[in-house]
Amino acid sequence: MNFSELASNAARWLSGEEDSEGMVISCRARLARNISTISFAPKATIDDQELVIDRVMSAAQRSRHMRSAAFFKMNALQANERRLLVERHLISPALAESKGQRGVLFSRDEALSIMINEEDHLRLQAILPGLQSAAAWSAVNALDDELGTALEYAHSDDWGFLTACPTNVGTGLRVSVLIHLPALVLTEDMERVTRGLTQMTFTVRGFYGEGTNSVGNLFQISNQSTLGVEEGEIVEKLTSITQQIIAHEKDAQEALLKEAPSQVEDKVWRAYGLLAHARVLSSQEFMNLLSAVRLGRSLNLIKKIDSGFMNRLMIITQPSHLQAERGGDLTAEERDMYRAELVRENFARLPTDNAGAS
Amino acid sequence: MKCEICHKRDATTAYTHIVDDVKKTLLLCADCIPTEKKNDEEKPVGVVSAKGQTKQDVPTLIKKAKVEFAASAAESGAVAEQCASCGMTYDQFKKAGRLGCQCCYETFAAQLDRLLKRIHGANKHCGKGRIALGEMPVPTDDLNQLEQELKDAVQREDFERAAQLRDQIRSMDAGAGGRVV
Repeated sequence: MNFSELASNAARWLSGEEDSEGMVISCRARLARNISTISFAPKATIDDQELVIDRVMSAAQRSRHMRSAAFFKMNALQANERRLLVERHLISPALAESKGQRGVLFSRDEALSIMINEEDHLRLQAILPGLQSAAAWSAVNALDDELGTALEYAHSDDWGFLTACPTNVGTGLRVSVLIHLPALVLTEDMERVTRGLTQMTFTVRGFYGEGTNSVGNLFQISNQSTLGVEEGEIVEKLTSITQQIIAHEKDAQEALLKEAPSQVEDKVWRAYGLLAHARVLSSQEFMNLLSAVRLGRSLNLIKKIDSGFMNRLMIITQPSHLQAERGGDLTAEERDMYRAELVRENFARLPTDNAGAS
Repeated sequence: MKCEICHKRDATTAYTHIVDDVKKTLLLCADCIPTEKKNDEEKPVGVVSAKGQTKQDVPTLIKKAKVEFAASAAESGAVAEQCASCGMTYDQFKKAGRLGCQCCYETFAAQLDRLLKRIHGANKHCGKGRIALGEMPVPTDDLNQLEQELKDAVQREDFERAAQLRDQIRSMDAGAGGRVV
C-alpha cells in the first residue's frame, strides 16, 4: 500500500457501524509492551531500536493478523506523510515527531496496528467503529497472544507487563471511545462529566488523545488505571460509563430541541447549507459545522446522512489528506478552498431526498 | 541537572560507556566529557584538559562519580541506587518519568511500589499473565468452533448470542483480510 492509496483507503473504524444514536465514532484498545532483553525507549540506542524493529517484523510475518500488514518506517517518510498517519489515528503525534528508528505496521482495513519504538517498544492497537470496546479488546488481545509467543515481553508477577512509564504498568491496556457530545458542551455540563469520570479513574481527552484539544465537540474517554484491575473489567467499565454519558447527552439534546426547536433546527440546517455550498472552509469551521450536522443526525432532523459519510469526510478533509489527494504543497488558503470543494462535491452526491427531508 | 562529575556546571550531554560489560550513562557538562570520546575512541585516556587538570580514565571517573553521587544522595536522604543494567538513577527517572529497562523495576522496587499505589490505587497486577514463548497459535480451530456455534445459535434463534459470536469472529478476523461474516 502506498500513500496515495492510503489517503483514500476505507478504514473500517470510519464505517459508522454501532454508532449509538450517532454519538460514538470509534473505540479502541491499545496494549503497551516491551521486549524484556532490550533497553526501554529512554535508554535505547539506535542499535536497540533497530533490533526491536527486526524482532517485531519477524514476529509479525508469522502472525495470522499481521502477515499482510503494511509497514512504514518513520524516518523514510516526509513530514506530511507522517502527519497523514496521525490523521488516520494509526500513529500518535509523538511518534510522528520523534527521531530515530521507529515505524508502524497496520492491517489493510486499518483495524489493527502496531507502533514500534514509541514510548514503549510496541503499542498494539485495535480500532473499530462505534461502541464495540469488547470486540476491540478481543482483537488486540488475540494479536498480543500471537506476538507474545515470539517476543519475550517484560513482565513481572507482581506488576504485570512492565512499561517505560509506570502509568501503563499492569495490563498496559488503554481503552477509549471517540464520542460526540455537542449538547453537554452547550449546556456547559462537560466539566461535571469530566469530574465524575476522574472519580471513576477515567479521563477525557481531545481528538488525538493525550495533550490534544477537543475539536468539533469530539472527546476521547479512556481508563487511567492499568494496575490492579483486569482487562475485561476495564472494558466493561468503559462501555457502561459510555452508555451513561450517551444517555445524558441524549437527554440534553432532547431538552434543547424541546426548549428551542426552531433555533436547533436552524443551527443544524444552516450548518448543512454552509457545508453544501461554502467556497472556503477552515479546518476548525468545518469541524464545528460537521458537529451541528451530526447533532441533526442524532436528533433525526437530518434523516439519511449516515455517520460513515461524516466520519470519512472528517478524515479526508484534514490538512495532510488534502495535500496527499491534491499533490504538491498547498498553502493554508489553498487548503481551505480545496476542503470546501471536496465537501461540496460529497454533499452534491447525496441523494436529494437526503438533503430535504426534515 | 548538574554535571555528575564536577557537580558545578549544568549537564548538557548523556555520556554512555561500558564498564565491566555494563552500560553506564552519566549526565555530564561539556568540560567533563572525556576527551578520547571527542577525538579517537582508540586513543589511551588520561589527557590534560584545558584547565590543566589531568583527566582520569573513564571507568575511574564513572566509579568516582558514582561514589560521590551516592555520598551526596545519602547526605540529602535521596535514593542512590543506579540500575545495574541500563545505568538509570532514580533521580533521572524522576525527571524523565520513564524507566530505562526491565531491571529498573527491580532496582527501584521499593520506591516504585509506593508510586504505583499512588498512580493506580493498587500495587498488584491481576490481569493477563506472562505469555509463554513457543509456536505461534493457529487460531483457525477456535474460529471454526465459533463459526459452528454461530450456526447453532442462528438455528435455535438465539440472536443475542449470535450477535456476540459474530462480533467475536469479526474481531478475530480483523486484519486477516476483512472477511465479511
